[in-house]
Amino acid sequence: MATETASRSGDAALANPLREGLRLLRTPEPCVLVIFGASGDLTRRKLFPAIYSLAVRGLLPERFAIVGVARTEETDASFRASMKDAVRSFGRDKLDEKVWKRVASGMRYVSTDFADEGGEDALMELLARVDEERGTEGNRFFYLAVPPSAISVLVERVGSRRDEWKGWTRLIVEKPFGFDRESARRLNAEIGRHFEEREIYRIDHYLGKETVQNMLALRFANGIFEPIWNRQFVDHVEITVAESIGIEGRAAFYEQAGAIRDVFQNHLLQLVALTAMEPPVDFTSESVRNEKVKVLRAMHTPSAKHVVRGQYGRGYIDGQLVPAYREEPGIADDSTTETFVAAKLYVDNWRWADTPFYVRTGKRMPKRETTIAIEFQRAPHPPFAEQAGDDLRPNVLIVHIQPNEGVSLAIGAKVPGQGMTLRTVNMDFLYGGAFRTELPEAYERLILDALLGDATLFTRADEVDEQWALVDAIVSAWRRDHPAFPNYEAGTWGPVAADELLRRDGREWRRR
Amino acid sequence: MAQTLKATSVAEIEALLDETPSQRTSVATHMAWVPPEWVDAAERVLHGLGPRIPSRTILLHPDPKAKRDGLDASIEHERFPGEDTSVCVEIVRLWLRGATVKAPASVVVPLQIPDLPVFLRWRGRPPFGRTELEQLVGVSDRLIVDSAEWRGLPRAYERLAELFDRIAASDLAWARTLPWRAGLADLWPGVRKARTLEVTGPRAEALLLTGWLRSRLRRDLRLRHEEAGRIERVAVDGERVRPQHARPASPADLLSDQLEQYGRDPVYEAAVRAV
Repeated sequence: MATETASRSGDAALANPLREGLRLLRTPEPCVLVIFGASGDLTRRKLFPAIYSLAVRGLLPERFAIVGVARTEETDASFRASMKDAVRSFGRDKLDEKVWKRVASGMRYVSTDFADEGGEDALMELLARVDEERGTEGNRFFYLAVPPSAISVLVERVGSRRDEWKGWTRLIVEKPFGFDRESARRLNAEIGRHFEEREIYRIDHYLGKETVQNMLALRFANGIFEPIWNRQFVDHVEITVAESIGIEGRAAFYEQAGAIRDVFQNHLLQLVALTAMEPPVDFTSESVRNEKVKVLRAMHTPSAKHVVRGQYGRGYIDGQLVPAYREEPGIADDSTTETFVAAKLYVDNWRWADTPFYVRTGKRMPKRETTIAIEFQRAPHPPFAEQAGDDLRPNVLIVHIQPNEGVSLAIGAKVPGQGMTLRTVNMDFLYGGAFRTELPEAYERLILDALLGDATLFTRADEVDEQWALVDAIVSAWRRDHPAFPNYEAGTWGPVAADELLRRDGREWRRR
Repeated sequence: MAQTLKATSVAEIEALLDETPSQRTSVATHMAWVPPEWVDAAERVLHGLGPRIPSRTILLHPDPKAKRDGLDASIEHERFPGEDTSVCVEIVRLWLRGATVKAPASVVVPLQIPDLPVFLRWRGRPPFGRTELEQLVGVSDRLIVDSAEWRGLPRAYERLAELFDRIAASDLAWARTLPWRAGLADLWPGVRKARTLEVTGPRAEALLLTGWLRSRLRRDLRLRHEEAGRIERVAVDGERVRPQHARPASPADLLSDQLEQYGRDPVYEAAVRAV
């Protein structure tokens, strides 16, 4: 459970000796959470269940309110009923009427269209009233759970009324943040006209996952890993973000985005950055993000032969025939949108020079899995190579991110009995087996951090910029060719070319 | 299913523990000294802990009046199936018969999980200076007590303080004062020159709050105490204190929190010394 001790924030302890050593749950200051897109899927499936779970654990401020904003006509009562239903359906905690009553008492709803002249007036009036009724002190936390096309207007309208409240302001922006580098820069500039960088929280929910954060703990809290976490000992790094699902009715979005913008640009590059970054001097948001940006800047654009894209055809998932991408509703039958990307990346710095990072992401893969595998170099001269029972693999440290969160280390061990037969065995640490505390949903952690003003797990403008620079370079090369899609069957690990990518280097993707 | 061993040996218990049903992760050895009058309470807390702390729990039941010396044991592997994997908790109950009560370290040391922290929960007032406490303190990393279970306050705190240089200490009574300490901290700087603290609640909590304020403010202040089963009211110089972050914590919750703490708590130690 997140706690803070005043001794960590030395100034406060010096000023108030009674705070020293107090291990308290981190609870945010009073505020109003304004959710734009309150009638949307994200609000129902993720945001409200997360807010409710925070309430169950006493992590929301006592003086707190939630204002839902959307074009859909609703009343406060119907909004409450609909969100209660969402918590029941998608929450990890059983609905407790007492807790829900507390949350619901601070819920309001505004039906308005910000595209209309003065569309924000009703919201501004309500927020002023809520401040009085709920004691939220003019602190505003705006959550933009809306499509990218709606962000500019909202930011402009809300930003232009900033002088109407006196407290702090924070803005959470959902991914995708832009469509390419230029649009991301434009969006950053638009937001920057009214909000400072420290007020902007660009969300990538992967960073809220426990194991992603555990990557930092694993690397920087354990003396045994850091000395070997470099080109001298690591043969290569392999990162897989695989989904077994298709596009789940998101045809319009996916046709625009493809795998490279949906996952590669954000989740995958974040995982590369966390794996490759240098130790930050401390765990403050600026220090951590400075180190991640350095990695992104050090990555050079892969040549065309080091990038593979694919699109799934028909195939079998869990024994069921699933349609090809081009057969999905809303997808053109000659679509060239990629549903798979693999790449060989390099981080050109002292630590990682010449060490390949093989990354891949795809839809309709055999199973849902996100892993980071650090494959170490083989023992230089194993005296018993011939006795290996199987082709003894090099040591691999695997960070499992989903669905099971944990860490495994593959090591060679002697098979009991006569002679010296060796086998590869896995030592597994799974979170579920060591800490029975239920892992918080990524959105819980991220919403709480944003409420507390901690931006460590959010993406900074320069990170986004570097991510898009890489993606733009890859995509521009794609414009010159016409891929022969589909090129992999649903239920497989992607196109043959993705295997070739590693085979050319005498390597292969990890067996699963 | 528990396996019971009469007049057994440590080696036999170790052998049984090695027959663990599956690979598991452990984070600590949790020992508890449980005299007969505390058995029910200890079992309730153990049940409440459930799978939160995957550990080897060793319950030590002293039976000094037994007609024979020796050791009886029961061993239980409790598995808590989860979505992805299951947690395994080992519970070893040991009855120290006769003179064995005076040599508990020799029994528990072979059963502790190597390289992991060892917590010692002492039920009731520890017998300060006596062999069994001295020995177990010597083989543990953290002593967890609940001074609300003690008689002879405040003098017993002096004896507890004598242990601070040898073992990190936690006090569940101290943990229960947290919301009130946070509330008092919120009154800073108004409480800087506090003269009187009024507490309606258990004596242990009242004394610890007073000791804490004395040590933090570096000034003496008077305690007006009214006995109650739990802290109901705290006021400083007549001004009521509002507890912060008050969430009802069960005894299992409190113990679970303590089992996740490792280092010394200098603020608590100073409070105990200032009682």
